[in-house]
Amino acid sequence: MKLKKLTGSREFLLFIIVIAMFAIVSIINPAFFSFKAVTDMLRNNAVTLVMALGMLGVMLVGGIDISITSTLALSGMAIGMLLKYGHISSTLVAFLITMGIGTACGALVGLLISRAGVPPIIASMGFMYIYRAMGYLISNGGEWASAAALGDFKNFGTEKLLGLSKVIWVIIVCYIVFFIVMKWTRIGRQIYAVGSNAEAAEVSGIKVKNIKLLVHTVMGFLAGLSGAIQVAVYASAMPNMAQGGEMDVIAACVIGGVSMSGGRGSVIGALLGALIMAMIPKALPLLHIDALWQNMIKGVMILAVVVINVILQRVANRNALARREM
Amino acid sequence: MAGKSGRSISNIPESPIKKLIFGWEGILILVFIGVNIFCKWFSEYYNMFNLLRQMPVYLAEVFLMLVMAFILVMGEIDISVGSTVCLAATMACIIANAGTPMPLVILATLAVGTCCGLVNATILTRFSELPPMIVTLATQIIFRGIAEIVLGSGGSIALSDTAGFKAINGKIGSVPYILFIVVILAVIAAIILGKSTFGRKVYAIGTNRLAARYSGVAVQKIRFIIYTLMGTAAGLCAVFMVASSYGANTTTGTGFEMDAIAMAVFGGISSTGGKGNMIGGIISAFIIVCLRIGLGQRNVNGQVILLIIGVLLIAAVALPNIFGSLRKAMKK
Amino acid sequence: MKKLLSVLLVALLVAGLMTSALAGAADGKKIALVGKSAGNAFFEVAANGFKAAGEAEGAKVDVVYPEDATADAQIKVLDNLISQQPDAICISANDVNALQAKLEEAMDAGIKVSAFDSAPNPASRQVFINQVTNDGVALGLMDAVYDIAGGEGKWAILSATSQAANQNAWIDAMKALMEADEKYAKLELVEVAYGDDEPQKSTDQTQALLDNYPDLKVICAPTTVGIMAAAKLVQDTEGCAVKVTGLGMPSEMLAYTGADDAHSCPYFFLWSMPDLGKMAAYTTIALINGDITGAEGETFTAGDLGEYTITKADDGGTQVILGPLFKFDESNVEEFAKLY
Repeated sequence: MKLKKLTGSREFLLFIIVIAMFAIVSIINPAFFSFKAVTDMLRNNAVTLVMALGMLGVMLVGGIDISITSTLALSGMAIGMLLKYGHISSTLVAFLITMGIGTACGALVGLLISRAGVPPIIASMGFMYIYRAMGYLISNGGEWASAAALGDFKNFGTEKLLGLSKVIWVIIVCYIVFFIVMKWTRIGRQIYAVGSNAEAAEVSGIKVKNIKLLVHTVMGFLAGLSGAIQVAVYASAMPNMAQGGEMDVIAACVIGGVSMSGGRGSVIGALLGALIMAMIPKALPLLHIDALWQNMIKGVMILAVVVINVILQRVANRNALARREM
Repeated sequence: MAGKSGRSISNIPESPIKKLIFGWEGILILVFIGVNIFCKWFSEYYNMFNLLRQMPVYLAEVFLMLVMAFILVMGEIDISVGSTVCLAATMACIIANAGTPMPLVILATLAVGTCCGLVNATILTRFSELPPMIVTLATQIIFRGIAEIVLGSGGSIALSDTAGFKAINGKIGSVPYILFIVVILAVIAAIILGKSTFGRKVYAIGTNRLAARYSGVAVQKIRFIIYTLMGTAAGLCAVFMVASSYGANTTTGTGFEMDAIAMAVFGGISSTGGKGNMIGGIISAFIIVCLRIGLGQRNVNGQVILLIIGVLLIAAVALPNIFGSLRKAMKK
Repeated sequence: MKKLLSVLLVALLVAGLMTSALAGAADGKKIALVGKSAGNAFFEVAANGFKAAGEAEGAKVDVVYPEDATADAQIKVLDNLISQQPDAICISANDVNALQAKLEEAMDAGIKVSAFDSAPNPASRQVFINQVTNDGVALGLMDAVYDIAGGEGKWAILSATSQAANQNAWIDAMKALMEADEKYAKLELVEVAYGDDEPQKSTDQTQALLDNYPDLKVICAPTTVGIMAAAKLVQDTEGCAVKVTGLGMPSEMLAYTGADDAHSCPYFFLWSMPDLGKMAAYTTIALINGDITGAEGETFTAGDLGEYTITKADDGGTQVILGPLFKFDESNVEEFAKLY
């Protein structure tokens, strides 16, 4: 019974897709099949992986946030400039600052959505412009902070702990925390409850507005954290960094089975979705696909994955129905 | 979702005059006047002549808004339109360079746009459980990807004979053709959305999809038509984009979807569906166009202009809600 | 009341944001410098050089950035500028063809049009201030690859986008040079990859180059973001013998430049960005003063840079050439990193 539940689940289907993609690429180009290749891929997609968690929370309550990469740029640019001009030098302080800025940015979006009743797409679209412009303004009109200016901070992107890159440890910790919170805590259950039926949740005593504020604040926190990661991994801060990356994050969640109308989705799903989004651009050059075709194929693959997922889900539903009728 | 907003816009018919003066549209008209006074004060170059000369590039995006409004009223979104513009503009140049007569070029451009719309429409109605955002995100990448492949290395194409498209830039007096077309299409779109059965069905879908279906609205058929028309509008936009640049490149139309959505939302068309009307969208489109031109004429940094639009966007939606709840609180 | 308040607030917000962006009025020559996009450190350096030289000559220089790195956004900027009727526009074009309609309109309105850094097509400009000839870039980079690879072996190019006009011109010139000169016969160009000038994609593409060609010797990245991402990845990869060269900014490349194994980039190139801006300013002022019209063979003096002659460009238009590539290695990179 448990096995059937497992095989019928959306995550399991996705898992199969991930393994299949991994296997196919590895067969065509064995360079893909190595510990180093996988850790490099995770490191290079750390930002998407981390923000997918926040987006999961936001989408679970039926929201969306397209301001996240602007928050990332603002917070990343902030520490970039602070490090460049020698106001701070400690890695820990830099991380705290990005997280603080991110949290504030996210809370502001959350307040507008939960208290002023602004639809999430509009609130985050407005702040997408605002935060991006602020990131640009604090860069003194277009200065970059590059490797030499970042001092010791950039080492965070390359240093290892117990054989794994520190960046990957950050990802792992985030996922474990989210997994526990979403699965076993009251807050987690409340988030799901708000997403499934906000009115019912309100009636049953959940403070819907606070939950909405919370998920956006957490989203901002993770976007800020991603700002630090982005600057550390690429050893550079530019005001236009990660522009458009919010769509990759949203795509990762949707591919991972997170419903855009709220209430459905899991941490494992978000992880698998983000892995698929990470694998596509990594795999295409390894498969010797012509550069001109890579973007189109990326789009087709995203479409294919979501469509296949829907078809498999329909089959699974039909089978489940048939079993019940028996 | 309904009733959350403090705005007095709804699809329940009221006296249109009263609605125009006291509703969101009334505020928008005031803002429009305010923006023009401000721009006149701010920029010494802000006059009718320059306004009409600069407007066409922005007006091309208004075509997108006209159909985007329908999609938003349904509570959905289409973020592939910018890429559709790119692909249609690319094909327009290729077809025109093959020596095709101008009317056929325009028809073909509209057809390319419509085909892109059809792709979205087909996928979205065949797999109706898929969220429009993700499908149109994928097609956004795909359409631009196709344009990249077609354009090849260099990523840019120029018209070999600009005469045909130059004619499109023509004017009657000092009023460009595009302004007439925008006004005519806006009136048609406003009538369809506001007065026709089709429009009421669109509101019904946006308010409560399930209820709409049970009461006999052919939800999927209407979605199919609207998403296809969205492509046609992108084709029309592409014609004017080519006319303003005598060519196309891989970045043509970047971000147009957001511009179109911003115009509609600022006009009071809710992205959660079922609310707003075309008149608001059209007024707000002109507000944004005038503001951008006025600020741009004094070389205000592009990022700062976007920042201002971001603030306006949020203020337009948040302020009525905040004042609404304040008033409610005071009444208590 | 509610409406009035909301209107007032909106107006206040707008007015508040505006004050910082106000530009003063000035007489004398007005020149508008149009960049590719806001937030580009590379361009900023040239713009400062342009501004300093232009203002020293008594002109008023406005640096205008489009809101996006697209030709569409530049068209809107040009529309705004035509309304203002400056004496000249100097532009770095986001697309070769797309600005023709607007730049022709500007020239018809009596505005002088020059281009620098990235040229629009010949019909849309009077003269192009070219940093280095395509052949000059190709020769410099090919010799670097030849030298670093030790005369033979596999090498790859990491470019920006497959559509970037100047990148493609350089790559084509490098390919032509390889065909033409026996010296490079033992060098094998295995792939041209595109990183879209995004760190993430550039990293993916560089990693794929390393994985696909284990005996790769050199990666040549003629783009500032690309060379930075490639140099970082190669330097961080333990035991990787690949070397990186190309076109980069000293301040970006400082951490990766050095002749030893600990650094991934022995040396790289660029032209002098402040001088390019300066040169563009003098050329544009010469256009306004009528000293030149942009025709082939005309000469003018570019301040302390010396005398220059307008020559024919590869695309059929005319150009002024700043000079050869400038080489940055461990001996001078630190000094120049302070500048740009």
